[in-house]
Amino acid sequence: MNTALVAAAPRGLVSLRSIAGRIGLLPALLVLLVAGMSAVDAQFYGIINVLNILRNASLLAIVACGQALVIIAGGFDLSVGAVVALASVVTAKTMAATAAAFPGSNVLIIASGVAAGLGCGVAVGLVNGFCVARLRVSGFVVTLGTMSATAGVGLMITNGIPVYGMPEIFVKGFGRAQAFGLPTAAHVALIVILVMVFAQRRTLFGRYVYAIGGNVDAAVVSGVTIQRHIVGTYVVSSVLAALTGILLTAQVGSGQASFGGDRMMLQSIAAAVIGGVSLRGGVGRIEIVAISALFLTILGNALNLLHVDSRLQPVFLGVIMVAAVALDELSRRSKPRV
Amino acid sequence: MSDLELTVAANDTDRPKLTLGHRLWSAVLPIALAVLLLGFAAVDRGVLSPANLLNIAQQTSYLALFAMAQTVVILTRGFDLALGPTVSMVSVGSALAMAGATASGHGAVAVLLAGLGAGFALGIACGLFNGVVVALLGVNPFVATLGSYNIAIGIATTLSSGRPVQGVPAPFSQIFYSGSIFGVPAAIAITFAVGVGLHLLLARTVFGRSLYLIGTNPRAAAVAGLPVKRILVATYVLCSGLAALGAIMMTARTGSGEPNLGGALSLQAIAGAVVGGTSLAGGRGGVGTAVLGALFITILSNGMNLTRIDGYVQMVVLGAIVIIGVLLDRLRQERRQ
Repeated sequence: MNTALVAAAPRGLVSLRSIAGRIGLLPALLVLLVAGMSAVDAQFYGIINVLNILRNASLLAIVACGQALVIIAGGFDLSVGAVVALASVVTAKTMAATAAAFPGSNVLIIASGVAAGLGCGVAVGLVNGFCVARLRVSGFVVTLGTMSATAGVGLMITNGIPVYGMPEIFVKGFGRAQAFGLPTAAHVALIVILVMVFAQRRTLFGRYVYAIGGNVDAAVVSGVTIQRHIVGTYVVSSVLAALTGILLTAQVGSGQASFGGDRMMLQSIAAAVIGGVSLRGGVGRIEIVAISALFLTILGNALNLLHVDSRLQPVFLGVIMVAAVALDELSRRSKPRV
Repeated sequence: MSDLELTVAANDTDRPKLTLGHRLWSAVLPIALAVLLLGFAAVDRGVLSPANLLNIAQQTSYLALFAMAQTVVILTRGFDLALGPTVSMVSVGSALAMAGATASGHGAVAVLLAGLGAGFALGIACGLFNGVVVALLGVNPFVATLGSYNIAIGIATTLSSGRPVQGVPAPFSQIFYSGSIFGVPAAIAITFAVGVGLHLLLARTVFGRSLYLIGTNPRAAAVAGLPVKRILVATYVLCSGLAALGAIMMTARTGSGEPNLGGALSLQAIAGAVVGGTSLAGGRGGVGTAVLGALFITILSNGMNLTRIDGYVQMVVLGAIVIIGVLLDRLRQERRQ
């Protein structure tokens, strides 16, 4: 029993306790928020609003999962917002081009578009991973560079104009569709979260990511191939961002270079950090990050419904972020070091 | 104690014992700058015209100021993502204060003082917040300043209702933008003076040297008895104070308080510092690296504008340059060891 507990938290009992505290805190806040809002405003639990929340939370959760993985390995991915935009315009452009070449063959059109979009994610992720792992440039600087470059390519392809010409079935039958009462994005997000949670707990890759983030030297000595796994985290992060870009494209019905952006990047980091991922690396769990993405989305939605000036809303996000991390630091400090 | 002095001394960028090869390596960026300038000049003669050179110097002075601000915190292994929003907030705040003072019928001097006071008060408040959260609460600088990033954006747009704030008096623009001292435009003169002062502060005072020690080895700094927390708070205040000065200069240039003035400045300032050779691992860099990096980025974008390179292509080039710059710097460091 004890070993199982330790295995669940690579940093030992101290962080286990602080994570346990967080598990209690975040869902409690979430329930409080939902209960409070339901009491105040009946619109909040109306089906339209709930679907709206689920859709947005799913998109954020997918990006945040990738971001969390990179941070757990001790890195940073500032490029995710730009990848969302690039994947969106590339998917739309490819679909439009294939549709012009092979009109009517919807399967081919959609497959090529999705493949091109995800391909962008793989490419950016590989560049990030290569620069960080091989050239050993700091992850912050590398992804700062690729963020600018990726956003530039996205704008270059489109000149900032939305791209149309996708098959109708991709938009109506996939992006805006609902199955079992849930929007497509929610299904995709659930699958992504389940796969990521499984990977984190049960695969070597997941365990190595913890090991690398927790203590690189120890990981090297234990025979972990550091470079390959670091590249892996950046590729996963970029591919998930690309997936979000494709989902957004399908939902909106056009490819736009304005999707994602700095806002999505900052929110994904906020979700990861509020979800208990430590920027020191080695600590964090995907399922909590997903809950934290849901929490952030509902918070934004609640502020909107309460008619809080949208200009004032970033203040709340900022205060909550700092408070969450400060609480974690203080609780860490009050316990004796192991 | 002598050990500590050695650690600090080892971080001076130019030690006398360097060989010629090493010297060449540390000259990579200035050489690249010259090549860049000549390359652009080959395409368009206008690049080297006195008017454009003055223009470059003027543009550089803003970015250099922000890169210096950023360098101060990066030296201590910190970051200030909130720099851009701080600039926006100060711009809006000082414009509002000046408009208010003018409306209530105060004299020109009182109006100016109100604007400066409000601007610096907001900047220093932001720096205090960052410093307290980072140093006393022990929050990672990235998260702490990402938090104040959001808070400052919220305040800037709320104060201004998202619109430019009019009512910046002419003398204000005169002093901080269009005026000149001994024929040197105000922005350049101010940045030069600040640069000299900051260089002396970093290189010649105990406070300055302790920043390098904290960045190189925080434990050693604490063991040596430095008041690390107090110094860190002062560092963030200094950074935001410099940002506030830059914001005032930019407000004087635009002639109104702009809630979007800071825009991408946080990352640009970090890029400027880092391209110039400031190490994100702390303890290495200074006024020189900040100015060099800012100059490099400004010349690059000025040259690309004059040679009519598409703005979107410029984003790609800048991204690549940031990565290459840091990579070169790392190689240079390895050669040195």
